[in-house]
Amino acid sequence: MATGRDKHAGKSLGSNLHARIKQARVLMVGAGGIGCELLKNLVLTGFGEIHIVDLDTIDLSNLNRQFLFRNEHIKKSKALVAKESAGRFNPNVKIEAYHDNIKDPRFNVAWFSKFDIVFNALDNLEARRHVNKMCLAADVPLIESGTTGFNGQVQVIQKGKTQCYDCTPKEAPKSFPVCTIRSTPSQPIHCIVWAKSYLFTEIFGTSEDDAPELDHSEDSENRKEIENLRNESQALKRIRGTMGSEEFPKLVFDKVFKEDIERLRSMEDMWKTRKAPTALDFEDLLKALPSVEKNIASKDQTAWTVTENFAVFLHSLRRLSDRMEESKASGDTGNSPPILSFDKDDEDTLDFVAASANLRSIIFGIEGRSKFDIKQMAGNIIPAIATTNAMTASICVLQAFKVMRAVIAKDELSAKLNDAQLTGSSKESSKADAKAEQVEVKPDEAFSQKLSKAKMVFLAPNGTERRLTTEGLSSPNASCPVCSVAQSTIVVDASRATLNDLVENLLRLQLGYGEEFSINSEAGLLYDPEEDANLNKTFAELGLNNDASITVIDDAEEGARVNLVLHISEQPMESEARPIDLTQKPEIPLKPKAATPPAETNGDWRPIVTNGLTNGATNGATNGIKRTADEAGFEEELVKKKGKVAAKPDDDFVIVDDANDGIIVLDDD
Amino acid sequence: MSLCMNRLSEERKQWRRDHPFGFFAKPARNSAGMMDLKKWEVGVPGKEKTIWEGGLFKLEVTFPEEYPTKPPKCKFTPPLFHPNVYPSGTVCLSILNEEEAWKPAITIKDILLGIQSLLDEPNPESPAQADAFNLFKKDKVAYEKKIKAIVKENPAP
Repeated sequence: MATGRDKHAGKSLGSNLHARIKQARVLMVGAGGIGCELLKNLVLTGFGEIHIVDLDTIDLSNLNRQFLFRNEHIKKSKALVAKESAGRFNPNVKIEAYHDNIKDPRFNVAWFSKFDIVFNALDNLEARRHVNKMCLAADVPLIESGTTGFNGQVQVIQKGKTQCYDCTPKEAPKSFPVCTIRSTPSQPIHCIVWAKSYLFTEIFGTSEDDAPELDHSEDSENRKEIENLRNESQALKRIRGTMGSEEFPKLVFDKVFKEDIERLRSMEDMWKTRKAPTALDFEDLLKALPSVEKNIASKDQTAWTVTENFAVFLHSLRRLSDRMEESKASGDTGNSPPILSFDKDDEDTLDFVAASANLRSIIFGIEGRSKFDIKQMAGNIIPAIATTNAMTASICVLQAFKVMRAVIAKDELSAKLNDAQLTGSSKESSKADAKAEQVEVKPDEAFSQKLSKAKMVFLAPNGTERRLTTEGLSSPNASCPVCSVAQSTIVVDASRATLNDLVENLLRLQLGYGEEFSINSEAGLLYDPEEDANLNKTFAELGLNNDASITVIDDAEEGARVNLVLHISEQPMESEARPIDLTQKPEIPLKPKAATPPAETNGDWRPIVTNGLTNGATNGATNGIKRTADEAGFEEELVKKKGKVAAKPDDDFVIVDDANDGIIVLDDD
Repeated sequence: MSLCMNRLSEERKQWRRDHPFGFFAKPARNSAGMMDLKKWEVGVPGKEKTIWEGGLFKLEVTFPEEYPTKPPKCKFTPPLFHPNVYPSGTVCLSILNEEEAWKPAITIKDILLGIQSLLDEPNPESPAQADAFNLFKKDKVAYEKKIKAIVKENPAP
C-alpha cells in the first residue's frame, strides 16, 4: 500500500505502473549534469533498484549544476557521492554505485540483461555507442539523452522496434585541414588549433612524426631531398633538444614566428589572393618588453597587444620548460622523455597556447582573442545549463514510464496466455483456446502498441516557436551496421579452437557461408578471401576471450545475408568435444537490396545537438531502405494511433506539449 | 561493428574485386600481426605520358574513427618532393579536406586516382613545401629533371 512518501506518485501514475516501478531495476550510465538530476528523479519516483556507473571524479567546475555534489566532495567518485547524496532522499530505494568505466569487461551482456531499463546520461559519443551496442545485445530498452546549452533531446531505443543510436549518422566535431592550420589560417580558431595541436605538442608533447620511418631510398640521389624534407619537418624537435638553455626561447620564436613565416611568404602565388603574413622580430619585441605590466597574464578579458603576447609567451615557455626539466631530473617518467599535455585548467599551458595563437594571428592579420575566449575555444567548452539538464532528465523519466507500460502490457498478456493454456488443458480446452486466439492481442504486439506512445523529444531555447517538440519513433534503419544484424553466442574452448574451425566448420558447414565473407574483431581483420595468415591460430592466440565479439560480413554477390555478430562464451570442454559450437542456430535474414553503397551523409542534417554531438535527422540522412511498416509492425501502429488516442474511453490523460497533434497524451491504466 | 569499420570492410571488398592497374592498397599489420583496417599501405603509380611515368609512390592512409564523415589522412612514406606535399609527407588535396570537397561517398579508389592526378598537376594555390614549389614556379627544366630522378629512385615493379 502506498505510504505517505509515495502516495502522490501512486496517485499520478496509477497503482499498476507504480507497483511495477517499485520492482524495477534500472541502470544509469553517467552521474554528471543530466545524471544528478535523473538520479534525483528516479529516487523520488521510487524506482526500486538503481545502479550507477561513472568513471569520473568531482571537479570544482561541476558544482554549479551537479547538485548532488558539494565542495567537500571534490576529487571523490561521482558515482559513489551521487549514491550517498540521493540515497538520503528515499530510504526505500536500493542504490549500487560503481566508480568504473562502463566499457569494463565486467559490465558484459549478461550484466546488462539484468536491467529493466538503461538510462544514458553521458557526455561522449564513444560511451554512448558502447551502451547502445550492449543494450541491443542484451535486448534491454535504452533511454538516450543529451544537452548542449538550451538544447536537449531524449530518444527511446528498443532493439528491433525503434532506430538505435547509430541508425542515423552523427556529426563529428569539426576538425581543420592541415593546409589551413599550417599555411593559410584565416580565423582566430585556426591559430588556436595551430598553437594547441601543433606547436604545443611539438615542443612539449608526443610529436606525430616521432615514429621512425624506414627510408627505402638509402644511397640514392633522392635521399638528400628526403633528408631535407625530414629536417624541415623535424626542425622543432631539434630545437626541443635545447630546452633549458639560454637561447631556447629565441630559437623557438625565430623558427615559428620568423623563419617559417618567411618561407611561406617566399611562395608568392599563395599571397595573390590573400594577405601575406608578416614575420615578427624577437629583438624588437624584447626592447619593448619592460613596458608590459607584470600581471598581464591574469588580465583575461581583453585581447593583448603584440608585446603583451610576447611577454606571456616568454614567461609561460619558461615555466613549462622548468616543469619538463624538473620531471626529467626527478626521473618520474623512467626512461621515456617527459611530456606535457594541454589542459585548459592548467594556467601555464593555457597562457602558452593563448599567447602563441595570438602572435600567429597578428602575423596573419587576424583579430586577436582574449585568454578567456581562447580557453573556451581551445578547451572545447560546451555550455552546460542546470535547467536544461533538469528538464531533459525529467523527460527521460516520462519516457521511461511509457516503456514500463509497454513492458507491463506484454507481461500481463504473456501471463494470461499461460493461464489460458493451463486452465484450457484441464477444462473446456477448445473454448478457452479459441477465446485466447480471438480476443487476445499477442504480447509482442501489445508491447509495440504501447511503446509507440514513447517519443523522441527535443528541447529548444526560449524564443523558438515551441520549447518542446516531439517526433514519433522511427523503425530501425535496415542497413544500420549496428542494430540490423543477427546475433548469436558461440561456446569456445579458446585453447583448442582455431580460426579455421570457425571458418570451415561453423560458418561454412553449419551456417552455409560461401567463399566470400570476412571476419572482424576489435583488434582487426581476422579473415577474408585474401587474408589467411591467422587461420591456424587459436582463439586464445588471437586474443578472442570470454565476452569478446566478432562480426561476420557476408560478401556474396548474390543473396548476401546481414552481418552476424557472434558473442564468445569461453568454456572448458572435454577434449573429444567440438572445440567450437553454436548455442543456438541463428536466423540470418538477407541484406536489404540496394543498401550496398555505404551510407552517404550529406548537408541536410538537422542540427540537434547533444553535448556537442549533432544528431542526424530521421529523414533523408540515410539512403538505406526502411523496413516496411508490416515488417516492423510498428510504424503502422503509430499512424493508427495518431489522433485516435483521445477517443479511448478508459484512459486518464495528462496533457503536455506536442508539435504534431497539439497534445501528447500520457494515458494511464 | 561501427559505421567506420563497416565501411572500411566494404572498401576492402570493393578494392579486392576491382582496382585500377598499377595501384596497390592493403591494410597494414599491427603489432599483433593482424590487419588493421584503419591504416592502409598504398602505392600510386605515375601517370603514363607524364614526367611521373614509371614511378610508384608509397603512402600511408590513416582513417579516423569518424570516417566516412571525416576524410582519411594520406602521407607519402618517405616524404615526396612535390609542391602540394608537406615536409612530413602529408598530402594537401581538396578531396581530402573536410571543409572543401570531401564527401563520405568518396572511395579509396577515388582518393588514389586523385593523388595520381595531383602528381603531374600541382595546385599552385596551396603550396605545402617551399623547395618543390619554388623550383616548380621558377625553373621548370630543373624541376622536371629532379622529378625524373625521383621516378628512377621509386621504380614501378
